[in-house]
Amino acid sequence: MRCMNQEDGKLDKVAITGIGMISSAGIGTEPVLGAMTSGTHFFNRQAEKKRSLHPKFPWPEASLEQPDVPWPAGAAWADIKKYANQAAHQAVAVSRMAMEVSGAAASDQAALRCGAVVASGSRTDELSPLIGKLGAMAQTDPRPLAKLLYDEVPDYSYLRGIPCQSGQFICLAAGFLGSNVAVYGEAGASGLGSLAFALRLVQSGELDRVIVTAVGIPLPPPMLVAFDRHDPLGLEARPGRGPFDVNRGGTLLGHAAVAVVIERDDIAKERGAPRLANLLACEAVNATGRNIALDMATRMVLEQSARQPDFWWAHGAGSIAMDLTECEAVHPLVKAPATSSKGTIGNTFESAGLVDLALAVEALKSKQVPPIGLLETPDPALGDVDFVMKKARQLRATSNAALITALDPRVASAGAAIIADIGE
Amino acid sequence: MKKKIVISGMGVVTPIGDSVESFWTSNLQGISGLRLEDRMDLSALPCGWVSATVPEETKKVIKARWGDSNQAWGDILMHTAVSQALDDAQFKGGLKRPAGLMWARVWPGPSGSFPQDYVDFMKSAGERYLTAGNEPGDVVAYLREKQEEERLEASDLSAFPTELSAKLGVPLVASRLDATCSGGLRCLIEASRLLQMGKADFVVVAAVVSRSNHYTLSQYAQLMALSRWRGPAAQASMPFDKRRTGMVINESAGALILETEEHARARGVKQHYAELGGWGLAIDTVHLTAPRVDMVERVMRTALEQSGLAPNQIDTVNAHGTSTRLNDVTEAKALHRVFGEHMQTVDVCAVKSLTGHGSAASGILETVIASLSLCRGIIPPVTTCTEPDPECNVRTSLTPIHRPVANVLKNSFGFGGQYASIVFRRPESARP
Repeated sequence: MRCMNQEDGKLDKVAITGIGMISSAGIGTEPVLGAMTSGTHFFNRQAEKKRSLHPKFPWPEASLEQPDVPWPAGAAWADIKKYANQAAHQAVAVSRMAMEVSGAAASDQAALRCGAVVASGSRTDELSPLIGKLGAMAQTDPRPLAKLLYDEVPDYSYLRGIPCQSGQFICLAAGFLGSNVAVYGEAGASGLGSLAFALRLVQSGELDRVIVTAVGIPLPPPMLVAFDRHDPLGLEARPGRGPFDVNRGGTLLGHAAVAVVIERDDIAKERGAPRLANLLACEAVNATGRNIALDMATRMVLEQSARQPDFWWAHGAGSIAMDLTECEAVHPLVKAPATSSKGTIGNTFESAGLVDLALAVEALKSKQVPPIGLLETPDPALGDVDFVMKKARQLRATSNAALITALDPRVASAGAAIIADIGE
Repeated sequence: MKKKIVISGMGVVTPIGDSVESFWTSNLQGISGLRLEDRMDLSALPCGWVSATVPEETKKVIKARWGDSNQAWGDILMHTAVSQALDDAQFKGGLKRPAGLMWARVWPGPSGSFPQDYVDFMKSAGERYLTAGNEPGDVVAYLREKQEEERLEASDLSAFPTELSAKLGVPLVASRLDATCSGGLRCLIEASRLLQMGKADFVVVAAVVSRSNHYTLSQYAQLMALSRWRGPAAQASMPFDKRRTGMVINESAGALILETEEHARARGVKQHYAELGGWGLAIDTVHLTAPRVDMVERVMRTALEQSGLAPNQIDTVNAHGTSTRLNDVTEAKALHRVFGEHMQTVDVCAVKSLTGHGSAASGILETVIASLSLCRGIIPPVTTCTEPDPECNVRTSLTPIHRPVANVLKNSFGFGGQYASIVFRRPESARP
């Protein structure tokens, strides 16, 4: 098994060769960056407003315009559609977008060295709304509970809920045959845990190319209520209620799906793939406290990349506690302009870290860091962080690296990544 | 592979033993953990009337030791197994760098193998529906008044990594993985990767499954994956027997401590259970649930090749052996392709014959048995394979086989096209 370059012991250089994204702003990264720059946001603006406009649903949401994305055409795909839930549809859609950029595997042999990693939450998007109805039915139905569930739970529901199932579809769409695994939320660092995992697969020589996919679907009400009790969710999406603001009121909800393809740089170069950026380092850490986890993850990526970033794409959850933790952990280590997407498209949980990485890749290319949505007055308790406000910040032409950080709600895990211009 | 990666500690909680030694003894003696699942009415299901859960007496001991806790039962089982493994590895703290954690917790549901808990959960969900309906806003308003149900669903998010970080005294590079029933082996492989890459010197691998309840059994019954055996319950899981009809759902937890040999030696630990060899991983995109011979063959060949071993250097295969019609014959055909005539001398072990199928946890439990086979030169019997399937034609035994074991090949496969295979070698200085 090849593990690192044999001659010098150095880890392989890794390129990002594909990105696909669907968010409340639309398809791709451009609409999000454009909205951030123009000060637009997407809370409660979509056609799909069932939850967020319901009078008793207290939290604004940045939902997808069209949550039901089309399933690929063809007989093979029609046969397996019954095994795919809504999240799988979105995962396949963004993966195909990313693969359009990255390009197909050159041969069957190459396909064996390509795989998938899926960032997953500990929940299903299907059973939660169904279980109450079945529980009510069970109160009067004469059938034993097991028989009732056998009869009434839709066929293949269990299989649709398997976290790594999306990965099999993604591999089918990408033509990858190497391996597939899901990384759950507890150590997921909003998707950066999956990216760190994928990076190890490439750097260890197990695979040459990995597609990392994450879908942040609407959280079921019980989980939202639990999150809200632990750390209040944002009740208002208006100026002054965004990340890092002194008047921020909590995380604003968002939904998104994202796929990022990473690949050994020499192989990407050899096959003429578009190399969008280099992924220099990515780590996710669990600890007894989120501050310890983020401090450790940030130190690790700074050391591994041997780079001081030119800007910091922060998680910026908008939560009073998490923003404080993030600034206390990162600001002592990194002095760079900071931005966040959460005031524009909300916190997309499992996919948030990957969404931010994808946005940072584009920002790095354009040498322009967009401002933080809904941020009016930075919280002085956060220290003298150089938040990008109101208008985009132009970077120097020599700027070439970005730090991305991410945190998990409720659990003490955090992730960090450093990307750099491909010229590096 | 540059570094020697060793298994230096092991822990288990299973239907047939709550320690490594008792689990091993049960395997050698052919003691079954399979029981008629009479805690719930399963009579109307087309299959799946037997399960293999942790005995009530063992649960009482664990609960008494654990005290009053809000933790999910699966996490408690996993902590129990990890504590055993850390003690077994003579871990006394003092780690100087972040440790690794690769873990799998199957069934992130509202109850473990406690049918009454699931009934209570359904009752609570039903009351919510009757009061508030399904409109998210109404459900939120209802739940904000209540506490209980949200606690159950929120427990899906586990604090296990945080708790283990506190126990080890260092932060963790951790991943909770899902690779369906190959998840345990995948955790082991990824732990080895962390060590090989120098990301950690000491890694905890843990997996748990606890889901013998109405929902899980009904859904596996929908898939017709469970045993339809109507005879004695202990015979319900019979890998490679011609009468096999499906698998048996199991409750169990397992934990392994992996470290570089150098790190273990520096801690004063010189004897180990096994040395990790190479592995093979694959994703099949042709079928969702059915295994394929060429995929099994591929991962086994890769594991052998990466280990630098020829097939005739493998002494025993620790099979996936689920007792389903298709899995066992598929695995057997692939074994014949890889081993050819050598299959006549390869002894095949199938732990699920006594424990049932513990999904991701199986990979860990079966690694424990594979490791002890290396150390002790004994291959446990497959006591339920009394009428071997000629179509499988693998060499199983009804009694323990005593023979030197230098190399074991271990397989795990799963729904969603998951395939994993790994080689374990006898360490230079094996644990007695």
